[in-house]
Amino acid sequence: MKRIDLEHVSVRFGEVQALSDVSTSISSGEVVMLAGPNGAGKSTLLKVVLGLLEVDDCVMRVDGEHTRPDRSFKKHLGYLPESVAFAESLTGQQVLRFFARARGVAPEQITTVLRRVGLTSAGHRAIRGYSHGMRQRLGLAIAILGDPALLILDEPTGGLDQEGLAVLWGVLAEWRAKGRFVLLSSHDLTLLERRVDRICLLCDGRLLVDASPSELRERAALPVRVSFDVGENTTAFADALAVAGYVEQRDPQNGGISVMVPPHGLLGVLDVRSRFNGTVRQVRVEEPGLDAVYECLLNRGTTSGNGGRVL
Amino acid sequence: MIGRVGLSLIAHELLERTRDRWVLVVSVLFALLASGASLYGQSAGAAADALTGPSLVTLVSLLVPLVGGILGHDAIVGERERNTLGLLLSLPVTRVEVVLAKYLGRLAALAGAVFFGLGAAAIVGGGGQFTVLVSLFWPTLLLGATFLSIGVLISSITARQVTAASTVVALWFGFVFFYDLGLLALLVATDGAVSQEVIAQLVYANPAGLFRIEMMAHFAGPEVLEGLGMTVGLPSAWASVCIWGAWTIAPVALSVVALNRSGRSR
Repeated sequence: MKRIDLEHVSVRFGEVQALSDVSTSISSGEVVMLAGPNGAGKSTLLKVVLGLLEVDDCVMRVDGEHTRPDRSFKKHLGYLPESVAFAESLTGQQVLRFFARARGVAPEQITTVLRRVGLTSAGHRAIRGYSHGMRQRLGLAIAILGDPALLILDEPTGGLDQEGLAVLWGVLAEWRAKGRFVLLSSHDLTLLERRVDRICLLCDGRLLVDASPSELRERAALPVRVSFDVGENTTAFADALAVAGYVEQRDPQNGGISVMVPPHGLLGVLDVRSRFNGTVRQVRVEEPGLDAVYECLLNRGTTSGNGGRVL
Repeated sequence: MIGRVGLSLIAHELLERTRDRWVLVVSVLFALLASGASLYGQSAGAAADALTGPSLVTLVSLLVPLVGGILGHDAIVGERERNTLGLLLSLPVTRVEVVLAKYLGRLAALAGAVFFGLGAAAIVGGGGQFTVLVSLFWPTLLLGATFLSIGVLISSITARQVTAASTVVALWFGFVFFYDLGLLALLVATDGAVSQEVIAQLVYANPAGLFRIEMMAHFAGPEVLEGLGMTVGLPSAWASVCIWGAWTIAPVALSVVALNRSGRSR
């Protein structure tokens, strides 16, 4: 598999239009994230790919060939549902043994995946004694069992501690390196920003934007914060910034000065700074968090008249 | 019909049920009560069979429908609540296979519980009542399979496990206790205008009633029907097969339909 395309996915539940003409694709070695508020249609789109939801007017293509999410397609799938729970009376190993048998995976892999997710010692214990994070890790172990080509993760960061997150990052990196596919949905934009290649922003069942995290920043064009560590002559520097049209924000902690600058106005600020070489000791440029970018694009998408699409 | 995933699911279901404390408690309770009935029959000496059989029929017709229904009540809704139904269906398996595998795995657990209960009664009652207990095994399993099937259907159409459990218990009351009372009320209300044939057909339409009548007739002879106020004979073998078949197969088939419907956008 090199590429999976989803074309014109529309899903309706009674009066609710859960997905409306959503088209996207995922290429080999890509980690694609579905983001959006609750009810945006993220999980619904995952269900369509998983074959859990039959839709009439959707075309899925694998390497250009029309494909249905049938038995042969599902053999390549690994899935982690959101907030997954398992039978409390069984052990982690027993649950994994079932999925290994069902997928035709060698039993030896159970030990490997348990080690991979850090549950080696807990594997023989009943799940009722597992914490939320351990259950999530067991879910991840099931998803990666048998090295599926397409990994579908619904809110994978939920309940994971630092160690669990490290496991997840390792899995994402490995799948990317091996040229496989990862499609995940999450609210944790900040956590996942540097781990995903593309973000599909959904709202009210519509695809607002489909771009890389850096492209998203460019499109949002939010102001960046430029902070100056100022030694002497602070007032003169602040006045110069004000004259140039930048609104100064004093940093009460260290007496520094910061200004909010449009992304294309950085040169102007640096020009002011060049006149105070002896005064300004250090300059720091902070991009807005992806959460702010998300909020901005979401607001634009819901208020634009262009079918919601952010251009 | 059932592939590798389905077979794995059957084994997994059986394993899960053997770890289920409720199943273990009910199995032990059934074994104790069946052993009690067996001991009671043994005290009658030569007439042990005539006493043990009907006693066990009464016990089975009360307890096994509840066990079957409760065994099936969380088959689908339990997976849905744990968010594992999607995980199951993401495996290379059809919805029909999932429902069938869940049903068969639980049926195997039920067979184990019935075997354990009647086996304990056979051991306690000695070799004399062995034939009675053997002849009761398959009909008991059939009765349980019927209510298990109903339980699986309820689990497919309810949104919460607690709703499914309450519905199963309500239906158990309905089939086992209130159904016959309802027929009696019908007779009284219509002042006997409803014919014996109709009443008999209504009795036979209830799997719990049919089991009781057929097994009582088996152990105590057809004349027992007259004692029960039934002047109409037992249904023919074909009719019996059809009734049992319908009650066992139809709910499972309907739960496949319900599961298929839940996976469609509309």
